Amino acid sequence: MSLKQLDVRGEICPYPMMKTVQALKRLSANELGLEVITDHAPALETIPTQAVRLGYTSVIEETGSPEWTITLTRK
Amino acid sequence: MSEQSTTEQALTGIDAKQPSLWPRLAPNVRIGFLAALAALALWMLAMGIDSQMGLFWAYGLAFGFVLQRSRFCFASAFRDIFLLQHGRTMKGLLAGLAVATLGFGLVMSKQVPNPTLGFLPPEANVLPIGLHLVVGGLIFGIGMVVAGGCVSGSVYRMGEGYVASWVSFGGILVGLLLTTYTWNWWWDASIADGWRIWLPTYFGHGGAIALTLLALLGVYLLVVWWESRSGMVIPETPFVGSGDDNFRARIGDNLRQFFVHGWPAVTGGVALGALNVLIFYTAHPWGFTGELSRWMLGLSNVLGVGPGELLGAASLPGCTLDVSESGFLNHMLFLVWGMVMGSFVAALFAGEFKIRRPRQHRRYTQAAGGGLLMGAGAALAMGCTIGAFFSAIPSLALNGWVFAVFLAIGAWIGTQIIQRID
Repeated sequence: MSLKQLDVRGEICPYPMMKTVQALKRLSANELGLEVITDHAPALETIPTQAVRLGYTSVIEETGSPEWTITLTRK
Repeated sequence: MSEQSTTEQALTGIDAKQPSLWPRLAPNVRIGFLAALAALALWMLAMGIDSQMGLFWAYGLAFGFVLQRSRFCFASAFRDIFLLQHGRTMKGLLAGLAVATLGFGLVMSKQVPNPTLGFLPPEANVLPIGLHLVVGGLIFGIGMVVAGGCVSGSVYRMGEGYVASWVSFGGILVGLLLTTYTWNWWWDASIADGWRIWLPTYFGHGGAIALTLLALLGVYLLVVWWESRSGMVIPETPFVGSGDDNFRARIGDNLRQFFVHGWPAVTGGVALGALNVLIFYTAHPWGFTGELSRWMLGLSNVLGVGPGELLGAASLPGCTLDVSESGFLNHMLFLVWGMVMGSFVAALFAGEFKIRRPRQHRRYTQAAGGGLLMGAGAALAMGCTIGAFFSAIPSLALNGWVFAVFLAIGAWIGTQIIQRID
């Protein structure tokens, strides 16, 4: 059971959010969650809401300047 | 680098005996201070040329700073309703409109004490309604979603280092210019006879303000209802302080909250609305696609390929195509570049500046194509999401609402398009 990685650095609005939602919907039953790496600040405002609606909790960690790793795990 | 503290982070491993502050600051903070100094120097330069240019540079810095800190993009306000059923930015936008409506309404009541006589406030964005507004709204809405940002969104992201936004900006300039060649046709077909409807003429100042606020409330309720249909909305990540109680920690927390942590959308919206009231009181509402058109018309004239006389353009306010043929320097030039600078300074202090290049080449096409559509839409609607919307609704002008409706429809269409591009 592992976390799938999704690197959306460099993407323009709204692809970080859109691709995250697509990836979450495609996760299989034995995939625990998704780790999203982004450098797009607006994604921090929108991804948590989309994640919780799909049944995932989110934790945001700042890992660069600017870079964030959003860990989405199945509830 | 954790959000905890850029200053504390940079202190790790530094000789405790070192007295000065400068080397202990993280690189982005140092460059931020230098950029802020440059902004101040440019302000003094501008003031030396003309005090209005200096003032508008300052306004630009403020607008750009607020846009970056609150990640405020009008395109996302509309788009996220359809794409994500999320109304964060839209709610901020509505708050800003409400504040601006009150402020503009107050100012205009002094400018035109008796509105029933049919006179219009000279600088409010009361513009003709017609097919041009419908088409302008639609193509602008599509363009802003495809490009990934509206005009002000692109301007603030230019300051953050998004290369695609610079491309978008270029597209906007070209779109504006190309549409000027069609202006006279639109003038005859739609703009010349379009009704300019200023609500206080019919409802008085108080009635018009009340009606507008009620309508904004209605939209707010609609947004909340729409959000609730799709489930929970997570509130924005709250600011987590250092946990310490001493004075230095508290000041540090305040600084981080202002300069590093993102601002809530409502805070941003209210700040933008208040700034708009201030700038309106000083001169005219916020809006700058008119200025952008001035650059392009000037350039095309210098090259000898200008569109010639643009019928009626000089008679309309707001962001109508600017045919003034004034010199290179202009107070609005300072506003626009002030916005880029303000966002740049804000991004540096927040650690959010980065030269960002999309990995896929098609994003550049999207940015350019979306920009072209935005430029065309803004030329026809005589303003973008600022001039024809964020400044028009508070102007108590019906054209703001008409534009908003078709902007929303265009944004919906744009959302369908971007989901298929991937």
